[in-house]
Amino acid sequence: MKHYTLARKLYKYYLKKIVFFAHTIDNLFMETITQTLTNEHSHCDQLFAQAEEKVVKKQWELATTGFTNFRAAMEQHFTKEEQVLFPSFEERTGQTAGPTAVMRMEHQQMRQVFDEMQKALTEQDSEEYLGFSETLLVLMQQHNVKEQQMLYPMTDQVLSQEVASILNQMDQVGKNV
Amino acid sequence: MNIALLSLEQTPPLSVPLRFFLTAPLFGLLASLLLLYDGPHLLMNRWYPSTLALTHLITLGFITMVMFGAMLQLLPVLAGSPVPRPIFVSSTLHILLTLGTLSLASGFITGWAWMMVSALILLGLSFFGFIGIVAYCLVNVKGRSPTMTGMRFALGALVINAMLGIILGMLFVGVVLPLPMVLTNLHLTWGLIGWIGLLIISIAYQVVPMFQITPQYPSYLTPWLVPLVFFILFLWTPLDILVHLNQLPATVSQLLIGFIGLGLSIFALVTLNLQAHRLRSIPDVTLNYWRVGMIGLLFSIILWGVGVFWSDLAMKPFYPVLLGVIFIVGFVLPVIQGMLYKIVPFLVWLHLQNQQLEITKVISMVKIPNMKQVIPDKFARRQFWVYIMALGLTISAVLWPAGLSDVAGIVLACSFLFLGYNLYKGLWLYRSVSWQIAAAKGKKSDF
Repeated sequence: MKHYTLARKLYKYYLKKIVFFAHTIDNLFMETITQTLTNEHSHCDQLFAQAEEKVVKKQWELATTGFTNFRAAMEQHFTKEEQVLFPSFEERTGQTAGPTAVMRMEHQQMRQVFDEMQKALTEQDSEEYLGFSETLLVLMQQHNVKEQQMLYPMTDQVLSQEVASILNQMDQVGKNV
Repeated sequence: MNIALLSLEQTPPLSVPLRFFLTAPLFGLLASLLLLYDGPHLLMNRWYPSTLALTHLITLGFITMVMFGAMLQLLPVLAGSPVPRPIFVSSTLHILLTLGTLSLASGFITGWAWMMVSALILLGLSFFGFIGIVAYCLVNVKGRSPTMTGMRFALGALVINAMLGIILGMLFVGVVLPLPMVLTNLHLTWGLIGWIGLLIISIAYQVVPMFQITPQYPSYLTPWLVPLVFFILFLWTPLDILVHLNQLPATVSQLLIGFIGLGLSIFALVTLNLQAHRLRSIPDVTLNYWRVGMIGLLFSIILWGVGVFWSDLAMKPFYPVLLGVIFIVGFVLPVIQGMLYKIVPFLVWLHLQNQQLEITKVISMVKIPNMKQVIPDKFARRQFWVYIMALGLTISAVLWPAGLSDVAGIVLACSFLFLGYNLYKGLWLYRSVSWQIAAAKGKKSDF
C-alpha cells in the first residue's frame, strides 16, 4: 500500500513536470499575454528614463516631448488592460472586486502623479518633477511586479484558449488611443 | 491557481513596517555609544563581552529589526500573501525583538544568568513567531520567482541560526567564556551569510532593477545562487565540526567557504555591472549606498581569502574583528540604509495618497508631499557622507583601537542619529499631512 502511494506520488510529480515542460515549450512558440505586456512595461521604463534625463539637464522642450511620449505609451498600455484584458479576466473568473479592481485603482493613482509631473513640467520646476518621477517610478515598478508575476500569468492560464484573440483586440484598442 | 488567495491590495498599515524601521537607528545609536564607552578593549578581541553585546545590538537591533519590518511589508505586496492580523503580529514581534535584544546585550555585559535566560526566551519567541508567520505566508505564495525561493532559503537559515544562538546562550549561562569556538563560528556564519546575506540577495533580485531601471539579473544566475550557497553551508556545517575535532584537514572547510565567497563575489560583481548599465542617470543615495555595500562585500571576501593563505594575519586577534566590521558595517549596513531611503518615503506617500482617495471633492484635496519632500535628497546625501566617515574610522579603529575608537564611536553615533532624524522627520510630515486630510474629510460634510 505504502509503495503504491509513493509510486502514485512520483507519477503525479513527474506528470506535473512534464506538463510544465510542455507548457514552457508551448510558450516558446506562442505569444503570451505575460510576454507581450511585460515588453510594454520595459518600453515604458525606457521612455520614463529618457524624459527624466532631459529634465535633469533642464532641456525643457525635449523633456516635454519625452514626457508626452511616455505618458501616451502608459495610457495606451492602461487602456489595453482596462478595456480588453481586465474585462475578459473578470468575465471568466466572475471576480470584479478582485485583483483587477486593485490594478485599476493603481492606474488611477499613477494618472494623478502624471498630472503632478505635467504641472511641474509646465512650471519648469525640475525639483518638483524629479520628486514626483521618483514617486511614480516606485509606484509603477511595484505595480508591474504584481502584474508580471501574478496577474499576467493568471490571465494566460485562465484565458488560455483566447490568448491570440485577446492580444489581437488589445492591438486594435491600442491603435485607437 | 487559487484566485481567492490572491489579493493585490494588501499594503499593510503603515505602523506595521515603520515601527521596526524607526527602532533600528536607536539600536545603532546604542551600539555606537557602547563603542564610545568601551572602545579600545572592544575592538581588540572578538570574545570580549562588550564585543558580543555590540555585535548583537547591530545584527539584531538594527539589521534583523529592519528585515522583520521589510519582510512583513514586502510579503503582502510582492507575493500577494497578506500577513494575518498585521498590527497584532507586528507589534508583538517588535516588542519581543526589542526587549530580547536589550536583555541579550545587558546579559553579555553584566554576565547575569537571569538576564541571559530572559533574552533567550524573548528572542526565541520573536524569532519562531516570525518564522512561523512568514512560513505560513510563503506557503500561500503561488508565484515562483527567484526572490520568493530565496526568501524561503533565508528563512531556513534563520531557523538554523536561531537554534544555534539559543544553544550558545544556554551554554553562556552555564559555562564561562570563551564559548565553544566551533559553535560560535557556525552561528555567525549561518547568521551573516545564511540569514542576512541570502535575504539581501533575494531582495536585490527584485529591487535593484526596479529602482534604477537596470537590466534584470541574468536568469542563468538567479534560480540557483541562493539555493547553492544554502546547500554549501549545509554541507559545510558537519565538516567544519569534524575539522575542529581534528578529524579533517582545515582545507576542506576553507574550500567550501571559498565556494560561497565565489558565489557572493559573483553576486556583487553582477550587481555593480547592472548598476553601471542603468537607464536612469540621476544621482541617487540608494545607488551610492548599494555600491558601497557591494564593494564592502568584495573587500570582506578578499580579506578572508588573504587570511587563508597568510595564517600569521589570521592568527591576530584583530583579524576576525576586522572581517566582521567590513562585512557588517561595510556591506550590510549600507545596503539596508539605502533601502530605507526608498521604502520609507514611498510608504509615507502611498498611505497619504490612499487616505486622499477617500476625499471625493476636488476642492478639499490636500497636497501630498512626493518622496523627495518626505526625505529631501540633500539630507540623505549628507547622512551618507557622515556614514562613509564612520565606516572609514571604524575600520581604522580596529587597526588602532587606542587612538581612534572614541572618534569612531562618535561619528558612528552621528550617522545613526542623522539617519534617525531623516526617518523621524518623514514620520512627522506624515502625521501633519494625515491630520490635514482628516480635517478635509471633516469639512466635506459641511459642503
